[in-house]
Amino acid sequence: MEIKSTDSDSFRRVYDSCYSVLLKICYHVVYNMDIAEDLVQESFERFYLKNMTFPSDDDAKYWLIRVAKNLALNHIRRVKRESGMMEKVRLKAGNAANSHDAQAELDESETIREVRKAVSSLPENLRLVVVLKEYGELDYKSIGKVLGISEGNVKIRVHRARKKLEETLAGDDAYVY
Amino acid sequence: MCIDEAMLSSYIDGELKEPYRSQTEEHLAHCPACRARCQKLRKLNDILKTDSIDESDIEARKASTFALLEKKYFSEDSRKPGFWRRRFEMSMGSMVTAAAGVLVIFIGGFAFFGSSPKQTSEIIPSLTVQADSQNVHFVSTEERGLDGYSLEEILSYLDSKGYNVDISIKGLQPLE
Repeated sequence: MEIKSTDSDSFRRVYDSCYSVLLKICYHVVYNMDIAEDLVQESFERFYLKNMTFPSDDDAKYWLIRVAKNLALNHIRRVKRESGMMEKVRLKAGNAANSHDAQAELDESETIREVRKAVSSLPENLRLVVVLKEYGELDYKSIGKVLGISEGNVKIRVHRARKKLEETLAGDDAYVY
Repeated sequence: MCIDEAMLSSYIDGELKEPYRSQTEEHLAHCPACRARCQKLRKLNDILKTDSIDESDIEARKASTFALLEKKYFSEDSRKPGFWRRRFEMSMGSMVTAAAGVLVIFIGGFAFFGSSPKQTSEIIPSLTVQADSQNVHFVSTEERGLDGYSLEEILSYLDSKGYNVDISIKGLQPLE
């Protein structure tokens, strides 16, 4: 069934079926709920304003996920760039404390912190596959569609990501088998 | 021979296609080493899953964001912005610039090329106006002299200017 992004009913249906997935994906890239929420909202606004027609619900979903993950990636790239500059300033000023990060870390359990560290340290192409599969709960086919790669390629990336994660998590002694 | 890691990884994701899937299951049934590896991969998945977000939080955000979007795009007065309104809103700044540009060209055309009567007669012959010294003369060249005012007017004018005027008529003596 054809989806028109400005049609009220279609929009509602796509919104209902995609919101949770988009939020999970964005959250596990930026690790901040409020920012993730903003990014998802931005994705849906683009979806509406583009006034596009999709051949099926799935195509609309893939498009939205693609937009959301790009927004999320842009966000962390920008933060990285900015925090790099902040780091320089901070070193000069001799002020090492960052109360916000410290508080956020207190709220998270040890395991979650280790998991996030491990996932964040993955190269971008592997990280996205993990986020889309584990948190977005997409299958290989959908991940391929979203990232524009073949299913075989997805399979390889998942495998490589797992190996890396095992190394990082085992190396840090974060959990016991 | 044991199953390779990549295949095992697809297997636990439920993505392994049929002949291989039953073969893998068969192998797992009698290979403790592979079972352990499989177990390890599942454990990794479980650990990744510990970092998941609260569903009730998702629902709350979902509802509030939708209310916001609905108000912005699907409420009654903004349901269909209409072609003209939308275009107008979008190009207000550029429209002002364009209007200013047209005005500059229009005025600039006159400034550069002028508008001589010859040109006008070429364009619209019936509307030619020959404004030379021969056919233009003043309708009135005379100014209104002092003779044009009555005595009362002169007196009231002088009075308003603050003069004290004393008038006497020749040959008449004021009564004592």
